[in-house]
Amino acid sequence: MTDKRNALIRTVDLKKNFNDLEVLKGISETVYQGEVVCIIGPSGGGKSTFLRCLNMLEEPTSGEVYFDDEKLDPKSTDIDRHRQKIGMVFQQFNVFPHLTVLQNITLAPTLEKKIPEEEAKQTAMKLLKQVGLEDKANEYPRKLSGGQKQRLAIVRAMAMEPEVMLFDEPTSALDPEMVKGVLEVIKDLAESGMTCVIVTHEMGFAKEVADRIIFIDEGVVAEEGNPEELFNHPKNPRTAEFLSQVL
Amino acid sequence: MGPSILDVLTEYWPLFLKGALGTLKYAAIAVAGGTLLGTLVALMRLSGNRILSTIATVYADVLRGTPLLVQMYIAYFFLPLVIPALNNVEKEVTVLIALALNSGAYVSEIIRGGINSVDAGQNEAARSLGLSATHTMTKIILPQALKNILPSLANEYISMIKETSMAGTFMLYELMYTRTILANKYLSWQPLFIIAGIYLIMTLVLTNLVKLLEKRFSVSD
Repeated sequence: MTDKRNALIRTVDLKKNFNDLEVLKGISETVYQGEVVCIIGPSGGGKSTFLRCLNMLEEPTSGEVYFDDEKLDPKSTDIDRHRQKIGMVFQQFNVFPHLTVLQNITLAPTLEKKIPEEEAKQTAMKLLKQVGLEDKANEYPRKLSGGQKQRLAIVRAMAMEPEVMLFDEPTSALDPEMVKGVLEVIKDLAESGMTCVIVTHEMGFAKEVADRIIFIDEGVVAEEGNPEELFNHPKNPRTAEFLSQVL
Repeated sequence: MGPSILDVLTEYWPLFLKGALGTLKYAAIAVAGGTLLGTLVALMRLSGNRILSTIATVYADVLRGTPLLVQMYIAYFFLPLVIPALNNVEKEVTVLIALALNSGAYVSEIIRGGINSVDAGQNEAARSLGLSATHTMTKIILPQALKNILPSLANEYISMIKETSMAGTFMLYELMYTRTILANKYLSWQPLFIIAGIYLIMTLVLTNLVKLLEKRFSVSD
C-alpha cells in the first residue's frame, strides 16, 4: 500500500514493557500531515503509553518512532529539538505554578528558540486572546479554573509552533461544565489543519473531529478506520463490546 | 560576681565585634559552600548514574553520621598530611573545608527532598516543550523545589551559624574565641551572655529574612 500523503510520525513494531507487564505489544502506525487521529480504547489498554512513546516521554522497550523521517532517540540531545516540534497536552494540565500565565507561554520559545522576549510576548498575547484568556496574562495559574489551565497548556504548546499536537486525555480531569470549552479549542486547532493525535474518552468529540479512529486494546491496534465506519459498523467484536459500554 | 555584663561589653566591645565578624565570615562560607556542594550532591544522587549516586549517598551518610567536631579535627590534622598544599595556607582553611563538607551533606538531603517533592508532570511538561534537561532543572524544577524547602533550608543555615562556634576550638577568631581570651582576664560568665546574645541576634535576623523571602515566593499561591 503506497500513500502519497506526507508521513509525519511513524512507529515500527513499537513495544513497551513496565517490568513484567507488556503494555504495548507491537504497534506500527503512521500519522500523516494534517490528519486528526483519535485513539480510543479501555483504560490500561496502552493508548496513553503509545502516545507518550511518540515524543519519547516513554522510552520504547523495542521498536522505532520516526518523526519527519528522523528516528527519535531519547538519549540524544536531538530529542529536545524534535520535541519542540511535537506539542503535548496532559490530562493533569501540568502548567508551571511558579510562572505567570504569560511566562508559562514565553518560557520555552525564548529559552530554546531564542525568540526575543517582546516578540514572544506578542505571540503569547495573540494566542491567549484566541482562547479567551488575555485578561489572565499576568495571573498565576493558581487563580485559573481547570478548563482555563488546560487552555493555557494548549497555547503554551502552540507557542512553539509545533508540527503536531499530542493530547493525552485532555478533558478527563475537568469538571463536566469545563469540557466543552476545551474541546472547542482543540476542534478549532484540528480544523485549522494542525496534525493532532488525541487520546480521548469523549466519543462524540472523536466522531466529530477525527479523520481516523484507532482502537487500542490490550497493547495492540484492535481496529482502525474512519469514524463513521468504526462507530457504526465495528468489525472486531472487542470494538463493538467497548463501544456498547461507552456510548 | 565581678564586673557586670554591661561593663564587660563597654570595655571589650572591639573583641566581640571582631569575633562576630569572624563568625559571620565562617557562617557565610559554610552556607555558600554547603549550598553549592549540597546542590551538586543532590543532583549527583538523582542523576540516575549508579557511580555518581553511590558516591553522593556515601558522602551524605558519612558526613551526617559522624560528629562535626571529629570531622574538624580530621580536617585539621589529617588533611594537610595528604594534601601538602594545605600546609601553605591559613589553618582556618582546613576547618572551613570541614564546615562546608558537613553542611553540604545536610543541604543535599534537603534539596533532594525538595526536588522529589515537585510533581513529575512538571518535568514531563517541560521536556515535552523541548526544554533541555538543564533548563528544565534550573527554570522549572529547582525554583519550585526551593519554595518547598525554604523553611528547612533556613533551619539548616541557623544550625550552621551556631556550629561555627566549634571553630574556636582551633583558635580561629570567631565569637567563642573571645570567651577564651576573656577567661584569661578572670571574666568567666559575662562574655557568655554577650556571645549568646550576639548569636541570637544573628539567627533572628536570618529567620526574619527568610520570612520575607517566603512571602515573595508565595506570590504564586
